[in-house]
Amino acid sequence: MPTITIFKQDLEGLLAGPGEVRQPITMEQLEESLMLVKGELKEQNPDTGELRIELQDSNRPDLWCCEGIARQLRVKRQGALARYDFLTTTSKSPKRLNVTPGLEKVRPYVAACAATGYRVTQDGLTQLIQTQEKLAEMFGRKRRTVSIGLYRLAAIEFPVTYDLVKPDEVTFTPLGMDTVMTLGEMLLIHPKGLEFGGILADQDRLPFLRDAKHQALSFPPIINSREVGEVRVGDDALFVEVTGTDLSMVVLTLNIFAANIADRGAVIEPIEVRYPYKTALGMGVITPQDLKRSRKLPVSTIEQALGQALGAYEVAKALTAYGYEVITKDKNVTVTLPFYRQDLMHAMDVVEDVAISRGYGDFLPVMPSQFTVGGLSRIETVSDRVRALMVGMGFQEIISNILGSPKDLRDAMRLEGTEWGQLVEVDNVMSQNFSALRQWMLPSLLRVEAASNRAFYPHRMFEAGEVARPDPTQPLGSRSVTVLGGVIAHVDAHFSEIHSCLDTLFYYVNQAYSLEPIQHPSFLAGRVGSIVSGGKQVGVIGELHPEVLERWQISVPAVAFEIDLTELAERS
Amino acid sequence: MDISSLIDSLHPLEIKVLSTFGATPSAVIQTEQLAQSSGLEPSQLSMAVEWLLAKSLLAVDTETVTPIVSLTKIGELYFEKYSPIERVLSAARDAAKTGKRLTIQDIQAREGLEPAEVSGAIGRLKKEGALLIIQGGCIESTGRPSQTAEAMRGLLQQLHGASRELQAFPEAQRQVIQDHAVKRGNAREPFRIDDRVARALKLSVDGVEAAQQLSKQGISEEVSQLTPELLKDGSWRTKRFRKYTISLRAPRIAPGKRHPYREFLDTVKTKLVSMGFQEMRGSLVETEFWNMDALFMPQFHPARDIHDVYFVKEPTHASSIAEPFLSRVTQAHQDGGETGSTGWSYPFDAERARRLVLRSQGTAVSAHTLAAHPAVPGKYFSIARCFRYDQVDATHATDFFQVEGIVLGEDINFRTLLGLLNLFAREVAQAKEVKFLPAYFPFTEPSVELHVRHPKLGWMELGGAGLFRQEVTLPLGVTVPVIAWGLGLDRMAMVALGIHDIRELFTDNLDLIRSTRGAF
Repeated sequence: MPTITIFKQDLEGLLAGPGEVRQPITMEQLEESLMLVKGELKEQNPDTGELRIELQDSNRPDLWCCEGIARQLRVKRQGALARYDFLTTTSKSPKRLNVTPGLEKVRPYVAACAATGYRVTQDGLTQLIQTQEKLAEMFGRKRRTVSIGLYRLAAIEFPVTYDLVKPDEVTFTPLGMDTVMTLGEMLLIHPKGLEFGGILADQDRLPFLRDAKHQALSFPPIINSREVGEVRVGDDALFVEVTGTDLSMVVLTLNIFAANIADRGAVIEPIEVRYPYKTALGMGVITPQDLKRSRKLPVSTIEQALGQALGAYEVAKALTAYGYEVITKDKNVTVTLPFYRQDLMHAMDVVEDVAISRGYGDFLPVMPSQFTVGGLSRIETVSDRVRALMVGMGFQEIISNILGSPKDLRDAMRLEGTEWGQLVEVDNVMSQNFSALRQWMLPSLLRVEAASNRAFYPHRMFEAGEVARPDPTQPLGSRSVTVLGGVIAHVDAHFSEIHSCLDTLFYYVNQAYSLEPIQHPSFLAGRVGSIVSGGKQVGVIGELHPEVLERWQISVPAVAFEIDLTELAERS
Repeated sequence: MDISSLIDSLHPLEIKVLSTFGATPSAVIQTEQLAQSSGLEPSQLSMAVEWLLAKSLLAVDTETVTPIVSLTKIGELYFEKYSPIERVLSAARDAAKTGKRLTIQDIQAREGLEPAEVSGAIGRLKKEGALLIIQGGCIESTGRPSQTAEAMRGLLQQLHGASRELQAFPEAQRQVIQDHAVKRGNAREPFRIDDRVARALKLSVDGVEAAQQLSKQGISEEVSQLTPELLKDGSWRTKRFRKYTISLRAPRIAPGKRHPYREFLDTVKTKLVSMGFQEMRGSLVETEFWNMDALFMPQFHPARDIHDVYFVKEPTHASSIAEPFLSRVTQAHQDGGETGSTGWSYPFDAERARRLVLRSQGTAVSAHTLAAHPAVPGKYFSIARCFRYDQVDATHATDFFQVEGIVLGEDINFRTLLGLLNLFAREVAQAKEVKFLPAYFPFTEPSVELHVRHPKLGWMELGGAGLFRQEVTLPLGVTVPVIAWGLGLDRMAMVALGIHDIRELFTDNLDLIRSTRGAF
């Protein structure tokens, strides 16, 4: 979900098209229009016209720029997508790009085009660079599958070669530096080399783009040359290339760029890429290229999914006004995506576009009519029951984070190295405070007690909730269990006080239990017992060990119990 | 205030004192005598007298001041271990017997006395002629007695554990006492002289009237507490019950109470059950398979990054993923399998599918339900704790509840999806106005965002929903359309609880939890 910056006046200009009169749009119109692109206006600056827009659809990279948003709105207004001449041009382009053998094992694919007749404006340049970054970052998986280069066309002599060289074989001055260096050096010291060098790890030869004069264009996917690879405001001829590991994504990305620059008034000149190896599109691939992703589906599929009888005509109209090419035959439609999209995986993708094109407001909500019986799970019912009993006994309910720290969950409870101290821990720790799932409830309650010595006493607190217990016999290596913990803390807190509460609880859940003396490091020896019910240990009760209280900096005695509700729930 | 309402407000102690004057309202009574005849403890009496004086029912007739002598802590210490003057004199006499030279430093060191104590004692002994100070800072006994040293022992004995009137001592002893009494600037002395004030009290004009009324009422015994005895023998009929000042603030209690956030979630839970939803539960630890793969999130999806999900340290992988789900989901990802989809066209990593994570979305619970022969028609919900790799701040929690669920049925389509969302808007947010916006979720198509006009909050996003993609439902064995929905209720909860920081939902502040009303 990228968030992009666009300028209102730039959007208005693109909506009108090159040479047309710009019509101001109101913020209401804009918000309404953003529904067509799943966009949400996050921020706006009325003085500069700057708009921050979040685009939700991660499968629609064509919308991650001002040109794409404007195009989708324009198509809707005009009822169909305007023609892009460069897709149908039959005259063979004199410009070529040759691919060197061996790249099939490194970074196999490249697509490129030239654009002339558009003088780059500040707004245009901002969008070009933003689109380049967003597409490479989010669609191109941080340049791994797709990366993009923009160049000043005038400085390039064709044919261009997508070459494969040794790290110290060629040198050029990369963007952001002022000295000549080898590709190997760029990987070692250039910031982009350090950031993206991992993509080329273990390669003994590296991708290199150069022109016919052996002038360096770039070291894809790392960095462009400073000489020809820096587009500036005022340039009126551009060369765009996309390299990557997935041919259809590479072509799609170039298509989006071609569409964007064409929408700003440029004439796009396709370039033929010649491969020394086979690709899904052959050995000579002209780009941009309309891959014509299409699908045939019954109108009834769309109608059923939408719950609305629309008819083939309305379906075709809605899809055409969303950029599709539609052929209706009998009760079926054959739909073809516009060349800047490839996100048609399933019939339902078409269904959604029909709904978006017509507007969600066009569909009258209907209640699902089928009868179902509601209810709570067994464990929730048991949990609610004991919660009500605890409240009745004067306990305040607590809710805590389930993620905690081993220090609180284990160490402060004196459980290092014991079976009670085993935890489900996080591998990629962000903060020690949130690095393990609680294995029992009492630390959650002691956390509150420790922070609340100013709250008037007595303190009676409970929490019913989930804990995770490591268990190697389980497929997941642990079990999520719902437990109830209760704590009483005040100057005279006494074992018999918490014992009475436990006794009352078991009476009302209609279970027999007994207490058996055990050794448990969290509790004072001789004042702790295992709660045994139905022949199973279902919990623990006792007076907290003074050292535990000391570690939590609790200054009054505390008594507590914890019982396994999952076990009780499964039983009755 | 007239006399009778004044009487009504009298404390039982005050009534006791007034009644003591009883039949002789004009009498002048000493406080000591008053204590005897009223039977009150000195502290109770002094309280009652102060109150009555403040109410002008009682007046002071005469006041006599008697100086009383007692021992200070130092005095008690001197009683046990002898006073510095006694110890210095005795040391000097011992030295005289043995002929040893005795310096002031010797005495200090040997007796463990403060320099000030030693020099004070020597000064006095020299003045009384019992000591001489000779060359080299040595002291020497003259053999003459010291009046102070002699008197001191007797005084300490007489006053040990008791106090006496100063005037009871003869003049010479009085002088010693006064010389060695605690004064401002000299706290280290054995004696203390306190003034005991003895008052002779009499009733004021109002007091006389009050006492007469009290005796006229006859039921002079006022009680503050009704007791089982009073009820049993019926004697409550002759008692007067003291009236309380009921306008005072009530003392605070801490009731047993649900947590306000849980109370909010309970309300949501009840609403959902009332709408025909069955509760689902799941595990805190999940596999990437059920948390993401089964939801058709490709393994390269940015939200599956190490920076979005918490991975489990040990064990790292689940032992297995149940079939046929693993094979079918693998197919769906790779080429769509039987789902009518093209799939994501990448090699699915079955090892990755077994990787253990902390559940990052409640939809994982729904995925399990889909695979476990759910009822058709069926409605399910869960309020599931989820975990995200997020920096914790006022709007991001690392550990939070997600309210979400599914609806299965032959009649499920885009319009019934909108109908269900309308119902949520009305029932959960009490909203009459709704907006449906196109949205994107990896596992639904079409997808909707539900915006509502909340009565208090204005327009807000209430939740997201959609029809599960067939790439999700078919591999899990479900052939009917399924709505997947999720509600974002934390903002509503925060408003209901009056808090502005999401961390306070799980606060450790007991006072805050106790005092939050938690309206919903």
